[in-house]
Amino acid sequence: MADYKAPLRDIRFVLNEVFEADALWQSLPGLDGAIDAETADAMLEEAGKITSQTIAPLNRSGDEEGAQWNAGEVTTPSGFKAAFKTYAEGGWVGLGGNPEYGGLGMPKTLGVQVEEMVYGANNSFALYPALTAGCCLALDAHGSEELKQAYLPNMYAGIWSGTMCLTEPHCGTDLGIIRTKAVPEADGSYLVTGTKIFITGGEHDLTENIIHLVLAKLPDAPAGPKGISLFLVPKFLVNEDGSMGERNPVNCGSIEHKMGIKGSATCVMNFDSARGYLVGEVNKGLNAMFTMMNYERLSIGIQGIGCSEASYQSAVDYARERIQSRAPTGAVQPEKAADPIIVHPDVRRMLLTMKAMTEGSRAFSTYVGMQLDISKYADEPESKKKGEDLVALLTPVAKAFFTDVGLENCVHGQQVFGGHGYIREWGQEQLVRDVRIAQIYEGTNGIQALDLMGRKTVANGGAFFKVFAEEVRNFVTENSADAMAEFVQPLAKAIANLEELTAGVIERSKSNPNEVGAASVEYLHVFGYTAYAYMWAKMAKVALSKAEADEIGFYSAKLGTAKFFFQRLLPRIHSLSESVNAGSESLYELDAVQF
Amino acid sequence: MPEYKAPLRDMHFVMDEVLDFAASYEAYGLEDASPDLVNAILEEGGKFAGEVLAPLNRTGDEEGCHIDDGVVTTPKGFKEAYQQYVDNGWGSMTGSTEYGGQGLPFSLGLVISEMVASANYAFSMYPGLSHGCSAAISAHGTQEQKDQYLSKLTPGTWTGTMCLTEPHCGTDLGLIKTRAVPESDGSYKITGTKIFISCGEHDMAENIVHLVLAKLPDAPAGTKGISLFIVPKFLLDANGEKGERNTLKCGSIEHKMGIKASATCVMNFDDATGYLIGEANKGLNCMFTMMNHARLGTGMQGLCHGEASYQSALVYAKDRLQMRSLTGAKEPEKAADPIIVHPDVRRMLLTMKAFNEGNRALTYYTAQLLDQAHYSKDEGERANADALLAFLTPICKAFMTETGMEVTSLGMQVFGGHGYIREWGQEQQMRDCRIAPIYEGTNGIQALDLLGRKVLGSQGKLLSAFTKQVHKFCQANEGNSQFAGELAKLNQLNTQWGEITQSIAGRAMQNREEVGACSMDFLMFSGYVIHAFMWLKMAIVAQQQLAAGTSEEDFYKAKVATQSFYFKRLLPRAQAHVEALNSGADSLMDMTAEQF
Repeated sequence: MADYKAPLRDIRFVLNEVFEADALWQSLPGLDGAIDAETADAMLEEAGKITSQTIAPLNRSGDEEGAQWNAGEVTTPSGFKAAFKTYAEGGWVGLGGNPEYGGLGMPKTLGVQVEEMVYGANNSFALYPALTAGCCLALDAHGSEELKQAYLPNMYAGIWSGTMCLTEPHCGTDLGIIRTKAVPEADGSYLVTGTKIFITGGEHDLTENIIHLVLAKLPDAPAGPKGISLFLVPKFLVNEDGSMGERNPVNCGSIEHKMGIKGSATCVMNFDSARGYLVGEVNKGLNAMFTMMNYERLSIGIQGIGCSEASYQSAVDYARERIQSRAPTGAVQPEKAADPIIVHPDVRRMLLTMKAMTEGSRAFSTYVGMQLDISKYADEPESKKKGEDLVALLTPVAKAFFTDVGLENCVHGQQVFGGHGYIREWGQEQLVRDVRIAQIYEGTNGIQALDLMGRKTVANGGAFFKVFAEEVRNFVTENSADAMAEFVQPLAKAIANLEELTAGVIERSKSNPNEVGAASVEYLHVFGYTAYAYMWAKMAKVALSKAEADEIGFYSAKLGTAKFFFQRLLPRIHSLSESVNAGSESLYELDAVQF
Repeated sequence: MPEYKAPLRDMHFVMDEVLDFAASYEAYGLEDASPDLVNAILEEGGKFAGEVLAPLNRTGDEEGCHIDDGVVTTPKGFKEAYQQYVDNGWGSMTGSTEYGGQGLPFSLGLVISEMVASANYAFSMYPGLSHGCSAAISAHGTQEQKDQYLSKLTPGTWTGTMCLTEPHCGTDLGLIKTRAVPESDGSYKITGTKIFISCGEHDMAENIVHLVLAKLPDAPAGTKGISLFIVPKFLLDANGEKGERNTLKCGSIEHKMGIKASATCVMNFDDATGYLIGEANKGLNCMFTMMNHARLGTGMQGLCHGEASYQSALVYAKDRLQMRSLTGAKEPEKAADPIIVHPDVRRMLLTMKAFNEGNRALTYYTAQLLDQAHYSKDEGERANADALLAFLTPICKAFMTETGMEVTSLGMQVFGGHGYIREWGQEQQMRDCRIAPIYEGTNGIQALDLLGRKVLGSQGKLLSAFTKQVHKFCQANEGNSQFAGELAKLNQLNTQWGEITQSIAGRAMQNREEVGACSMDFLMFSGYVIHAFMWLKMAIVAQQQLAAGTSEEDFYKAKVATQSFYFKRLLPRAQAHVEALNSGADSLMDMTAEQF
């Protein structure tokens, strides 16, 4: 299989040529000159090196070896520890972290590119710093100054890692019914008791301490989601002077036997009157989680992009080398026993589907990253509000669509290999297994869809949607001429379709709340394809403008891929819309007993 | 620990009420397969599958096969289970009575295979490969070859394999390098390496009969130079019993994504003794004889995993409490409502149910045609069945496995995080299913066969043979007001089918790339239309039963409701495929290989 190479050319195209990130960064007062084009480029180059040279080579071996549990201790696969150290020393764990506490304060538009590379190189490895970064986000937003000083610097430096402990055996989606308890101590700390499951990186041998953020309920807490508080529970208590203290009674009871991401230790964590510290306000634990939810959703969505890219690179390589049968229009390489399979239309269909969706995802990920940066760092209220609205609307789309598309892509990437795609040594089947979890965790894609359809659309009468639609319409109006027509015409139709679809769901749900859930997943897919139509139109515009400077046909490839997207993939919105418009009736004609 | 219960009620619904297998058995002189016997066989088969085979599915996956110097051991319990399978006569059901078989219809054998495979797919591959081997020998062997080998293969005492693929060729068998050199005694010496040989080596039977594609020294190039040889692991002694070890060996077994209990072997033939079967240079023709059966069996794999996945998902969705129904708590005394109340969970379950039951109907419909092609006394009827089979089997293979993948993925998703954990069994169904779109001819190859060779190659005749069936059905049910909308929809799609074919044919005359550019979307469109046909057949039968008064209202109402879901929420996808294929080949072919 092809060795993973960070797709720097395409990343630079999206970041610099399509979204002009540097101009954006300079315009955001909150970023305060933290980054410029040169620094960004150097970072991308370095990220490319470390991911392909240090992290990717551990991907197959990590999958075969897996994390191992022995009497509460967990060892990661060979090489992970050293690689994590190298990664941490490069400052990568704290890339997006608060500079006040040692983070690099890099904007999300840059962060998403690095995240894609790490996931593309090695999903299991990527999760250790990813969970740590998520943990830091919550702590930075809601922790007391004392807690932040004590924990963030070492976490940003990758000396300590972090986890998010939410799920319990009986609840993942429905966190209101958690049973983990926190009992207040006289000194202001708490004793936390309970069992959490599916804790990524809950125990391992990469760092000397592990900082758990744990959702638990106080003794007198109200029932349901409004009674959840957030606590910081370290594996080793930390002394006043910052040195490591006593071992806290938090233990890994076992690790899961999973389909994939086998190098990531997925732990059952038992808290047995473990000492913890309140983060944020009492009974506002879920609110604290929600702050970083948008970043987390985008991050996990990016797992889908990383896997797609890795699968694609190998598939193209294979398709250019593997000779089998002859081209339909006559032998293309008659001196060989057969033609490379890339000559076959159906193989091209699979490759182009992967290419169009991966590049579309990369553009959309950068676009959503931009909205996160605008909403965080802009000070002009209207821009800030627009950024926030788009973040709210688009992050569930990003999480669910990148990962649903990611599975389809990886399955195509496996299929291109024929029988060899099923053999572990070739690496393609691992990507399918690894990407599959991304549709489930961090809120299942069904939950993302409910969030998009219900909370973010129906609940506000489509207000956020209008913000997005207006931006798309303006683009259409400003770019309708000549060569752009073939892209903006279908885009205009698509956004009109989505508008109609949205109105339909809003109307139907007035009389029946089940209409929201009946529409949600397919609505999200229509949204995704429509958003990608916008992204492809933007990319086509840049490619058209650079037709003269088309080294190695990069820009004409962009145009070719754009055409494929509009002709072959975007039409899916019509079928999906028809299904959405059929409503909830056919879902409820059966009683549970009739299934 | 996942359980499997053979879905006998649904199997009987399709066999008895929709397709009337009993009538066709009688018509083809297969009265031995009486309704009583069929009921008993299905009952026993269900027990065997659920009680003996299903419990070995998870353990077989965790343990996998092992190899030590060419000797392969299967997971614990497999050898004993196979012995029980053989002793109870499951392997010999459809074999000729001449050789210890029971002479029961193919279609009945397929129904039993569905249960065996659903319970434990890897296990089912051992007898499954044997059937293919037997079928080839039965169709093309000399009397002596049949006497020698079928007597052992039919009861399952020996197993068989199909050795076609080599490291550099799977699809393009014309490139094979395995050689066969004639010996003076009429046998041949076979030398070469085959890969991806399912069940090529194992510990479950005392001999393994390999069917091997190889080229004679003076063979023409390409596919016209392939011959087929019987190459047994142990040569036969004078008494036809297991004799000397032949010079062939399993070099290694693959490390796969799934079907781990099936030993997928590299077979090295080193001047191994083999015997020509069929005519020289007609090896592929021999293979094609069983192609319809093989494709249907492989297509059925999508149903097998889909059914097992659905059973578990349904149990989970009724038990797992999470959140409240948005229309008010349905079980307020519990901490939360069972997730089956949620619309999106229902959408996933109904998608699984619709595809599974539609695939079952399509499988059995096609199996009945296999019966007709093989057993009918009327030559015209046999020819008609052959034509329909030529058209349907690539669709069965590809559509049922693509939908099987979607179903098994949904079956994981219903479980949330637990779906990703091996102990719950759902992720194994998806991993095991994933091979089905690849082997027995990739789905892309099936699509090319359907559109290129079968439909366009017959100037549309093979398509119209089927659309006529659909048209007759729509006409016969014209007055049915309950399903007027759906019947009109099916009729419209049936017409559209012909139109898009004509359009493709026109484009293909100018540019041969148009065929491959449209093939997969054409196949998927076809599958959706055929499912619509199957669903209307089933819904109308259900409607009749409900009208006549029945004690099984729930069962029949569910059929009508699932049909409704299929038409409203799944069938619309057919149009996306039409739009994609109508866009033509340019967007696929304009870019250079370097631009990818």
